[in-house]
Amino acid sequence: MDQPVTHRPVTWDTSKMDVKRVVDVIRVTPETNTSRTPVDKAPDPELGHDLIPAARYYSEAFMKLEWERIWTKVWLLGGRADDIPEPGDYICTEIGKESVLIVRQHDGSLRCFPNVCLHRGNRLRPEGIGNAQAFRCMYHHWTYGLDGKIERLPDLCTFPQGGPPGMTLPSLPVTEWNSFVWFSLNPDVEPFDDYIAPLKDHLEPYHPERMAWKRDVTVEWDCNWKASVDAFNESYHVQGIHPQLQWYLDDVNIQIDCYERHNRYLIPFASISPRVAMPSTIPPAIDEIMRHAGMDPAEYEGRVSDIRRDVQLFKRRHGKAQGKDYSALNDDQLTDDYHYMIFPNVALNVHADDVMMFRQRPHASDPNKMLYDVWVFELVPEGEPWPERAKHRRFKHGDRSIGQVLDQDAYNLPTVQAGMQSGSFPGLWIGEQELRIRHFHKVLDDYIYGPGGKQEGDL
Amino acid sequence: MDLGLQGKKAIVVGGARGIGFAVAEILAREGADVAISARGEDSVKDAVAALSRYGTKVVGKPCNVKKADDYKAWLEWAIEALEGVDVLIPLSSAGGGMGSEKYWHNAFETDVMGPVRAIEAVIPVMTQRKSGSIVLVATTSALEAMGGPQAYNAMKASLITYGKQLALAHGKDGIRVNVVSPGPIEFEGGNWDMIKGTMEKFYQSQLRQQPMGRLGRPEEVARAIVFLASEAASWCSGSHLVVDGAFTNRTHF
Repeated sequence: MDQPVTHRPVTWDTSKMDVKRVVDVIRVTPETNTSRTPVDKAPDPELGHDLIPAARYYSEAFMKLEWERIWTKVWLLGGRADDIPEPGDYICTEIGKESVLIVRQHDGSLRCFPNVCLHRGNRLRPEGIGNAQAFRCMYHHWTYGLDGKIERLPDLCTFPQGGPPGMTLPSLPVTEWNSFVWFSLNPDVEPFDDYIAPLKDHLEPYHPERMAWKRDVTVEWDCNWKASVDAFNESYHVQGIHPQLQWYLDDVNIQIDCYERHNRYLIPFASISPRVAMPSTIPPAIDEIMRHAGMDPAEYEGRVSDIRRDVQLFKRRHGKAQGKDYSALNDDQLTDDYHYMIFPNVALNVHADDVMMFRQRPHASDPNKMLYDVWVFELVPEGEPWPERAKHRRFKHGDRSIGQVLDQDAYNLPTVQAGMQSGSFPGLWIGEQELRIRHFHKVLDDYIYGPGGKQEGDL
Repeated sequence: MDLGLQGKKAIVVGGARGIGFAVAEILAREGADVAISARGEDSVKDAVAALSRYGTKVVGKPCNVKKADDYKAWLEWAIEALEGVDVLIPLSSAGGGMGSEKYWHNAFETDVMGPVRAIEAVIPVMTQRKSGSIVLVATTSALEAMGGPQAYNAMKASLITYGKQLALAHGKDGIRVNVVSPGPIEFEGGNWDMIKGTMEKFYQSQLRQQPMGRLGRPEEVARAIVFLASEAASWCSGSHLVVDGAFTNRTHF
């Protein structure tokens, strides 16, 4: 049955790229899509071909602008809602020079406060998760209730001016969405639903609330936070630094969608990159995908190029019996990487059985450093016990392996950060496969200079 | 040295890629008519097109060796299409794999019964003509520990035994049988090409173990196979030739 070609997910000519084969990927189309997650190709924004100035990666002035106009203005990812189910449970998380407490209240709602004692500025809690009946400052024992109100101020009578205004910590906006908690340093931030649009439809079908912590790692990386965002915002680097992934995913046939401030790309997994010759035996990583789905690769009679589709069909057929409800997802979502970027700093690889996400935080004072959080969640099949929460680990760039692929991602970043400061490097020379990088910087520009307000010579 | 392959009729089971294709190509270049099989229709078509440039008769048809009836029909078809058969080289393989009993069945059906069924199909024809040459392809993984204990290694080992006994039994019929065991061979789309891309460190460690500092190429094995298959090797039968660039450690006394 011939249908008019309305869905053209890949915008570049794959036959002219450095490939060995031209591959026609079987895809869910807007007509056949069964999920609330849309598959429609968003029209590519016209973002031009200008350099992205390198100085914005190391300039302290630009870092200050980012702080004033982005970090203190937008919604930010705070943590996982299931880390704080009971009253008094809290997440203490840092962003730049700020630290906040996100606290579960007695009525089940959330409140968010700056993590700072109003007396002499001491931090109330170290970063991490915990439970408290009240937040007592370790210095002079000023004590705050779960709602931020000062419950005890020792020797209040010796403060002729009385206690701080309202006898309470200021409240910051906080909300819960899709198993995560979000906060803002901006008391007048727009409603979260407006900010996250249109991603609610995109990400809710994955039901991350059915997934449990698998990894929780923070690495101090020696680069600007945007170098990290860029690193995960394009697939062009696969042929450069992840050669092994060419026998795992198709890094050529990629759909890119840019929305108002967020963006995504869709990468076929369980596929062989057109950049390498088609093997006749099943590559180890695809063998692993098949086993994870419950298939026996030894039983597989099809061609290697048919595996992606057959894994989709197998999961569709057997998911339910395995306690995995895939009913909200389309077939492509059962194998592929739908990779989202939530502005400004969250990258999510969402899959039917897991979510691997990165939160990329600026350093408090040094534009050449950042915090890279790796959060991995795995689907817990119905009827199986909820696993113990992964312990948080923190270390410095290169001190420990964070897995082969992420080590490869991390490897170049310090030298990128160093090289960008060269007098011979005016800025990033960005191609079509890196459209999401251009889009990210455009959104950044609009926050910093006002929509369309960036002038010639601005960083 | 004349290999005496001009006008000979050769069946190459699994002749669309790797060593098999290199064997088919040398045979065609030396003037032999060739019939090849492979799993995929496209790969057979491409290989036949590539092999036809040498001007001999080249035919091909897709076939899954594991499907016994289809495979037997394919063998009959090949003998008929070539109007006889002088040379048989069955190479198709299910490859390696551990962790499922099914790998044993796969290796048995493809790596063992593939050659066995082909041999049974050609022996009557060769016996009648009092001439024929068969080369079986085993592996150095049958000779030394490689890749872990697995069906591939053990099943391939059986060909070495079977090949020798065939040679003893059919010498009187003018049929020679030899076995070639290649070491690691690299070609585009082959296993070692994938290993180089997916397990760079392991690949490098293999290179370091190679006396000549590299892996073999398909044509380097194919030339040995075709030599044994040819009239030039008229006094070679029951032999087992290891073609591995001295990779294996064992000494052949």
